[in-house]
Amino acid sequence: MLLEVRDLHVEFHTRDGVAKAVNGVSYGVDAGETLAVLGESGSGKSVTAQAVMGILDIPPGRITGGEVVFQGRDLLRLKEDERRRVRGAGMAMIFQDALSSLNPVLSVGDQLGEMFTVHRGMSRKDARAKAVELMDRVRIPAARERVKQYPHQFSGGMRQRIMIAMALALEPALIIADEPTTALDVTVQAQVMELLAELQREYRMGLILITHDLGVVADVADRIAVMYAGRIVESAPVHDIYKAPAHPYTRGLLESIPRLDQKGQELYAIKGLPPNLMSIPPGCAFHPRCPLARDVCRTDEPPLYEVSPTRGSACHFWRECMDD
Amino acid sequence: MPDGRHEPEQAIAGTGMGGTMDLGVDEAEALEKRPGGGGGPGPEGKPRSLWSDAWRDLRRNPVFIVFALVILFLVFISLWPSAITSGSPLTCDLSRAQEGSRSGHPFGFDGQGCDVYTRTVYGARTSVAVGVLATLGVAVLGSVLGALAGFFGGVGDSVLSRITDVFFAIPVVLGGLVLLSVITSNTVWPVIGFIVLLGWPQLSRIARGSVITAKQNDYVQAARALGASNSRLLLRHIAPNAVAPVIVVATIALGTYIALEATLSYLGVGLKPPSVSWGIDISAASPYIRNAPHALLWPSGALAITVLAFIMLGDAVRDALDPKLR
Repeated sequence: MLLEVRDLHVEFHTRDGVAKAVNGVSYGVDAGETLAVLGESGSGKSVTAQAVMGILDIPPGRITGGEVVFQGRDLLRLKEDERRRVRGAGMAMIFQDALSSLNPVLSVGDQLGEMFTVHRGMSRKDARAKAVELMDRVRIPAARERVKQYPHQFSGGMRQRIMIAMALALEPALIIADEPTTALDVTVQAQVMELLAELQREYRMGLILITHDLGVVADVADRIAVMYAGRIVESAPVHDIYKAPAHPYTRGLLESIPRLDQKGQELYAIKGLPPNLMSIPPGCAFHPRCPLARDVCRTDEPPLYEVSPTRGSACHFWRECMDD
Repeated sequence: MPDGRHEPEQAIAGTGMGGTMDLGVDEAEALEKRPGGGGGPGPEGKPRSLWSDAWRDLRRNPVFIVFALVILFLVFISLWPSAITSGSPLTCDLSRAQEGSRSGHPFGFDGQGCDVYTRTVYGARTSVAVGVLATLGVAVLGSVLGALAGFFGGVGDSVLSRITDVFFAIPVVLGGLVLLSVITSNTVWPVIGFIVLLGWPQLSRIARGSVITAKQNDYVQAARALGASNSRLLLRHIAPNAVAPVIVVATIALGTYIALEATLSYLGVGLKPPSVSWGIDISAASPYIRNAPHALLWPSGALAITVLAFIMLGDAVRDALDPKLR
C-alpha cells in the first residue's frame, strides 16, 4: 500500500463545543490506483485529506487518533520539518478553486518554478525552463509566452491545468485532488479529469479524488469510499457500488442523480439534513434519514461489515439494501 | 476514455461527462480566447500585476502627480538646499529683525534678523529627515513584529497585542514632553527614536491584520500543501499580498510624523536652536505675530503643505492599491 490511513480521528475545538469531523476513517491507496472519496459537504472528506497532507489548521483542529502510513512511515509521527519535505515531493494536492489557489501577485512561471527552486535547488533559469515544460505537459497552448502571465489572465480550465502542473512538478507518488472540477463548467471538467487520469496512468501515481460528483467518479475511479458524518459507510470497487449499493446512503446518492429516462419526474432527494458534527446521532449516524432504519440502528453503531473481500458496508441491514 | 474502465450508463446520463471527453486543446484554446473568458483587459500578451496596475492608475491621477512633484521638490531641497539659497540659516543680522519682504530676501526677516526664506528652505531638511527615517523605522519594526504575530498567532500574538494596547494609551505629546525633556542631544535622532517607539504599534496592528487576512487565502494553503516552508509562505506568498495597507498607512503617517516633529520642536523638547526646524521657527515667530506675521506664515505654510502632500500621496496610493475602497 502506498498510503494507508488507519482509524483517523479529527476534532475541531470551537467556542460552541467540539465538532467531531472525522471519526475513525480508514482507507488505502495503491500506486496507480484511484480512490474516490464521496460524500456531502461536512462529511469529513476534505478534513481527512488535510490531515493526510498535514495542512490542517491546528488549532482549532486536532488529530486525536489514528495513523497515516505513507511509503512505510507514519506521517503523524514525523517532525514538521520532515513532513514538509514529504509535501510536494512525496504527495501533492490539487484544490477546488484554482483562481484562489494561485498567488495573484506571482506569475504562473514563478509559482511553477518555485517547486524546483525550493525542493530541487535549481537556478531560476532552469526552473523557468521546467515551468514551460510542465505547462506544455498539461497542454497549455503557447506555454513559452504565457509562462510570464498572472493567474487572472487564464481561464478557469487553464488555471486548473496549472494547479495540476504544480502538483505534478516533482512527480509525487500520491496526488490528492479535492473536488478538482467543481469550479469548472461541464465541458472543461471533462478535459481536466481526462488530463488528470492520463497523467496519473503515465506516472503510476496513487490518486485520491475527493468529490461529490458521481459522474466524475464513474469515469476514473477504481474504488469508492463513501463518507457520512466523519465515517466511511461503504467502501467498494467502483462497479460493485453502481450495480448494487450496500448502504442506504449510497443508494440515496445514486438515486439522486438526474437521469435522462426520468425526464419530467421529480428528482429524488435524501430527506433530512446531514447531522450536526457537534451532536452526531447515537447508533448509526444516518438513522434519522434512513428508509431502512429500525430500533437497533438508534442504539448500536454498525461496524464496517464485510460484504465481500474487497467490499465493506457500515449498515446493519446491508443485505436488505442490496436486495432492494 | 480510459480503456478497461467501467462506465455505468445510468450514472453518466445527464452529467454531460460521457460525450465531451474528446474535446481537445483546440476547443480549450477557443474557449480561452472568447471575449471575457479569462485574462485581463490589458494590452495583448503583456503581463500585468497589482503593482503595475496601481502604477498605471497613479500616473493618471492628477492629485498624485501634483503632490508627488511637491514631495520630490522637498526631497531635493533638503538634500541640496544651497541650490536655491545662497545664505546660511544661521547668519542673522539683528538690525534687520522683523523686516518685511525685499529684494534678495523674498520672505523677509524673523525676530532675530535671520532670513526667513533661507531658514524655511533649510527647515525642510529636518522635516524630511525625521519624516522619512521615523517612517522607515516604524514600518520595519511594526510590520516585522505584526507580521510574525499575525502569522504564528498563539501566545506571542497575545503578548504583542497587549503591548500595543499599552502604547496606544500613551498620549503622544505628553509622552514626548516627558521622555524627550531629559535628553540633551540636539540632533534629529532622539526625536526619530521617540516617534518609532510610539509609532510602531499602529503599523504592527495593520500588518498583523493584513497578514491574518492574507494567511487565510487558498493559495497560502496550496503553497503549504506543495511543501513551502513557513519563511517562504510568509515572505513570498503572504507579504506581497499584505503589504499594500502597510504602505498606505506608512505614507499617511509620514505626514503626521513631520507635524509631530514640528509640534515637539515648538514645545521646546524636539530640536532646539541652533538646529533649524519649522517647529522652532514657528515657536520663535509666534510672539511677534502682529508685528511680523510673515515670519510665522512661511514656515507654517511650508509645514502645512508638506504634511498635506504626504497625506494626499498616501490617499492616492490607497486608491490605486485598493480600488474597492473608492
